[in-house]
Amino acid sequence: MSNDGTNTGRRRFLTAATSAVAAAGAVGIAVPFLGSWNPSAKAKAAGAPVKFDAGKMEPGQLVRVEWRGQPVFVIRRTQAQIDSLIENDGDLKDPESLASSQPTYVDSRNRAVKSEFLVLVGLCTHLGCSPKYIKKLDSAAPDASWNGGFFCACHGSKFDMAGRVYKGVPASENLVVPPYTYETDSLMIIGVDGENA
Amino acid sequence: MGNWLVNLRDWVDARLPIVRTWNTHMGAYYAPKNFNFWYFFGVLSLLVLVNQLLTGIWLTMNYVPSQEEAFASVEYIMRDVDYGWILRYMHSTGASAFFIVIYLHMFRALIYGSYKQPRELIWIFGMLIFVVLMAEAFMGYVLPWGQMSYWGAQVIISLFGAIPYVGEALVEWFRGDYLISGITLNRFFALHVVALPIVLLALVVLHLLALHEVGSNNPDGVDIKKHKDEKGIPLDGVAFHPYYTVHDLQAIAVFLFIFCFIMFFMPEVGGLFLEAPNFEIANPLKTPEHIAPVWYFTPYYSVLRAIPDKFWGFVFFAASVAIPFLLPWLDRSPVKSIRYRGIFTKIALVVFISSFIILGVLGVWAPTDSRTLLARICSVLYFSFFLFMPIWTTLETTKPVPDRVTTKGGMGVFGSLGVLALILALAIIPLKAVAAESAFDCGQIPCAEVDFDLTDTDSLQSGSALFVNYCMGCHSAKYMRWGRLADDLGIPESIAKEHLILGNDTKFGALMNISMTEGYAKKVFGGAPPDLTLAARARSPEWLYTYLNSFYLDPSRPYGVNNLVFKDVGMPHVLLDLQGDQLCRPAIAIAANGGIKRDENGEPLEDSYSDCGRVVAGEAEGSLNPEEYQEAMYDLVNFMTYMAEPSAVKRERMGISVLLFIAVFFVFAFLLNREYWKDIDH
Ligand code: FES
Repeated sequence: MSNDGTNTGRRRFLTAATSAVAAAGAVGIAVPFLGSWNPSAKAKAAGAPVKFDAGKMEPGQLVRVEWRGQPVFVIRRTQAQIDSLIENDGDLKDPESLASSQPTYVDSRNRAVKSEFLVLVGLCTHLGCSPKYIKKLDSAAPDASWNGGFFCACHGSKFDMAGRVYKGVPASENLVVPPYTYETDSLMIIGVDGENA
Repeated sequence: MGNWLVNLRDWVDARLPIVRTWNTHMGAYYAPKNFNFWYFFGVLSLLVLVNQLLTGIWLTMNYVPSQEEAFASVEYIMRDVDYGWILRYMHSTGASAFFIVIYLHMFRALIYGSYKQPRELIWIFGMLIFVVLMAEAFMGYVLPWGQMSYWGAQVIISLFGAIPYVGEALVEWFRGDYLISGITLNRFFALHVVALPIVLLALVVLHLLALHEVGSNNPDGVDIKKHKDEKGIPLDGVAFHPYYTVHDLQAIAVFLFIFCFIMFFMPEVGGLFLEAPNFEIANPLKTPEHIAPVWYFTPYYSVLRAIPDKFWGFVFFAASVAIPFLLPWLDRSPVKSIRYRGIFTKIALVVFISSFIILGVLGVWAPTDSRTLLARICSVLYFSFFLFMPIWTTLETTKPVPDRVTTKGGMGVFGSLGVLALILALAIIPLKAVAAESAFDCGQIPCAEVDFDLTDTDSLQSGSALFVNYCMGCHSAKYMRWGRLADDLGIPESIAKEHLILGNDTKFGALMNISMTEGYAKKVFGGAPPDLTLAARARSPEWLYTYLNSFYLDPSRPYGVNNLVFKDVGMPHVLLDLQGDQLCRPAIAIAANGGIKRDENGEPLEDSYSDCGRVVAGEAEGSLNPEEYQEAMYDLVNFMTYMAEPSAVKRERMGISVLLFIAVFFVFAFLLNREYWKDIDH
């Protein structure tokens, strides 16, 4: 087979053009395959916002609420717990939550809409274990100066009473604050942004 | 840049023969240059195989192989999984497409003698692929766990019961239960998604290895290896790559166009690709009125039905599938291609294909006496083709075969179309003769003709209100979600929650269940009212519409009403208050010429043979006048049609863009192919 008389330029162009169209087609075909991995309508329905009434909680109490199959911690902080937050700032990686995940409408330091109620996704930002809630002066406290907070037993990450991560532990970010809003004074809807509600 | 790629290739090639493999199968595989239309189907079957594997893998990600959840999980894929319906239709359309291309591929082998020496093994592997594919398709069809899945499996598995002595035990072992059950479903799932695909892939590899060892046949049936140039390259051969890769690209474009047209615009193909009863969940207590396998099995199924004996039916059924294995040894002709064969082969082939088509069509239809007779005649013709082949292939005089391939040989497009017309005529004329079907589509009357409009949001909204208020007292729509309904119909969440969604605590995204439990329904109604999500697909929209308009008063029935479409229906007429009383009158008499019989005043006459054939308004009027009632029923059925396939409108819209895209691709593939082939005399 000799190449005499073949128009190489035209051949190249047509090959490139056909390949380009085929590549676009391949991308198009990939869409349903990749897209089908998104959460389905069933998953979305199961992950719909949940209502929780924090009004009957005792001060200092933690309640786990399930949202999207994850534990969401709701803690009614005592005034002492809120006041002690400022003392931790020097020992924290990100005291002002600049590099952490939280809605814009929560306070960057006490990390709540109403400082009394702290709402956090109860999963460690290191590798996803669920940390324990340990109060100040509890016998299980990881060290003597423990001001109260969350301790992840998996690899020893520590967070304060605003879910902010301490220095010197494997986790790098503060605990995540989910979107939530108040329908009444104490009735919160977890999973809905305050702005749009 | 290019250099390190070359280095990498050489590094790998020193350790793994990639260059040699490429050359053996693509770059330096010399195929005859005179391939025609019939040589596209091998590549196309590979394409469909890839499609089936990919979509199949993706379907298993959401399918649940259990008796309780299989059916629901398929509907889950169709509705709740993003793009799930595309994946499912790709797979279901692919199953039928697979058989279409394989049948055409086999036909090619038949006309050009591609199974003859030295290609016997290729044929054997090909036939094995075909048989495994049948098993694969059969088991795949069971997985959606609809009525046809269930009863099809029941019939086919029971076939093995015909084997003497061990039959019954074998059937039980095969099912793993005393009936087809979730146990059977689970093993079919394992075989369908793991075991058989592995076997299939292995056979495809063997098929191709054997082909590339001896080389491709061609429409002239001559051996291109007899004439080579000084480099040892066949004079009549071209490298598979790039010449046939670009050649096949155009065919792939055309094929994809047809494939996508079916997938996006008619995925059920009128019940041939997806059968209507399969949209009803499997019910071991109730056989559908007419069960037929999917179209690709029907020729063999017809043979089975034609034999008036269970054991021999099984034997001939199996033989009809297996007998083509023997082709290489039955064919004694000295030439391969039909181009140089005598008249006997041509006649035999036309008759054979026609009978095969007739058998296929008969297998879809319900049997009658005349159809059974025709099936018997065609079964005899089918087997005669093979059994007498040694005789006529020896007797006929053949033409001399040329030394080199010809490029203008064959009968041309018009000749081929002529033969196609002849084959179809031979198939259609006898079929016409036995086609007469007396039963009406809608029970005792013909179905009303209505055009439903899924884009009419007002109609859909009022239909949804009717459905929720009147039907959902007893019937669930448990594969549909409230939220999806509201979103698709443009109903805001707050309004839907207030006026539509049943139950105060029901979540917006919840399934449309009802509070009546199955146990309670059984006690009160003697059976749970069926779920209605898919009613419009399991029956038809026209059927539903006619049904809702055909209730009449009948004091002999427990609920005081009966129905012309669904005789002795066990359901009250919940819309009685809207419609008012209806009475049954004799049907209008139809004259022999098809017109309406009238008395001397021009009034239509009633048929004296039937005492109940149409409904007319009775004394008590409903709250809606007849037009309003019909409109309400239109809205209701329109809504139910939407609900049966919520993605239907989106599907068609998407289909248009897809087809346009493929058309563009075809233009480029066409130009590219012409550019490569312009120097080759073909
Ligand atoms: S997961 Fe919590 S410390 Fe590693």
